Amino acid sequence: MKKIFPIFIAIGTGLTVLAGYFFTLQLAPVLGLLINWGIVLVGLAGLIGIGYLLKMHVTRVAKQQKGGFYSVIVLVTFLFTAVAGFILTPEDAFFRNWVLNIIIPVETSLLALLAVTLLYGSLFIIRSRGWTPMSVSFLASALASLVFSLGYLSPQAGSVAADWINFIRRLPIAGIRGILIGMALGGVIVGVRVLLAMDRPYDGDK
Amino acid sequence: MTWTQIGWTVIGLSAVLLIVFSILFKGKRQYKVRKFTSPGVFQKQRVAAIERGQARHLVLGDQFWSRSYPALGLHALATLPSLATSEDLLDGEQLLSAGAGELVLFARQIVEGHYQGGFSTHLPVFLPGPTPFSFLAGFIPETGLHPPGSVGMFGNFGLTAALLSEAVELRGGHVFAAAGSITAQAALFMKTQDLLIGEEVFLLPGGFEPTAVNQAGWVTEDIIRLALMILLVIAAGLKMAGVI
Repeated sequence: MKKIFPIFIAIGTGLTVLAGYFFTLQLAPVLGLLINWGIVLVGLAGLIGIGYLLKMHVTRVAKQQKGGFYSVIVLVTFLFTAVAGFILTPEDAFFRNWVLNIIIPVETSLLALLAVTLLYGSLFIIRSRGWTPMSVSFLASALASLVFSLGYLSPQAGSVAADWINFIRRLPIAGIRGILIGMALGGVIVGVRVLLAMDRPYDGDK
Repeated sequence: MTWTQIGWTVIGLSAVLLIVFSILFKGKRQYKVRKFTSPGVFQKQRVAAIERGQARHLVLGDQFWSRSYPALGLHALATLPSLATSEDLLDGEQLLSAGAGELVLFARQIVEGHYQGGFSTHLPVFLPGPTPFSFLAGFIPETGLHPPGSVGMFGNFGLTAALLSEAVELRGGHVFAAAGSITAQAALFMKTQDLLIGEEVFLLPGGFEPTAVNQAGWVTEDIIRLALMILLVIAAGLKMAGVI
């Protein structure tokens, strides 16, 4: 019973939500209720996740493990932000500015680091992956995209050159669609397997 | 035919094919999937990490659900039972992390299931940060505290996957990525040797354990993909001929 009950709930909920996608009008009230429950559960899961995060840092401080100093910083800033958020509320302009003025520069610096990492990776892709058809075509298409996005190549509309440039510009979109179709089909199969209880990620059974 | 009817047809056909092939493959029938060596390399690196006494890290993505890639979180969790077995968890060096509370909860439940009712309170599942960037900021120091011999990246990632991969490789760890989202795959292509791209991601968990159900999933996906390709070619031909 302990195993069967979650399976019934998962299949029932999944099928109802799926049916709601096709019979929107008929199932709207049930669907609304299920989605609201889902939002509440996701919110609770988020809180529990933050609980795990705090527990990990508290343990690290209590046991004086390596990196404990950074955990102290995390805990102090978390508590400070949480208390300030409860008192001032997230709508408060001062609180919002204060939080955003810390988060945005930090995220921007990570983005800058990411840009450097990607540039370095693209420059050394042949060295890391070798002269394979995939790596050569990846590098060639990345370079072609960069050159075409500069906007210097703009032949007369209707000419053969313009048609070719448009064709080359559309190629990445075709590639993306191809990959997305494959991934969407994979997603459908994963969903159907869960609905048929062939995969049960909620109880760990294979 | 309306979009709703097409949707029902694809889902219904998938369900029927999955059931039929699951029954067929329960015998000795085998479906030969395309050759892909990365999962094998990943398994070998995990064994090598155990032998060296290093940590093995499984990262389940920074989101459970996203509009563009709704199934990736579930898929990461479906892959987990093949990798976080009780033997893997014995030495305490198998770490699991995710960037969403739901993923952490489910992962914990799966691991507890392998611990036969959760006799251990020390389950190595943690959440470095609840947003993609905080996840990255929390994960990178972890690679210093527990230098990973092997890291498997599954589920939903963005461009930040490249930085995660870079951090692991700087510590001498091996990265295997079956991470979704096109941006993550493009970024990881430059950084990671063992990477699954596009629909290959969904060849897991069968790449680790080719059970009847997993093989049924492969063949179903291939049949539907082939049917879709034929329909697209026919539709393009009809459009070029001016029929539609």
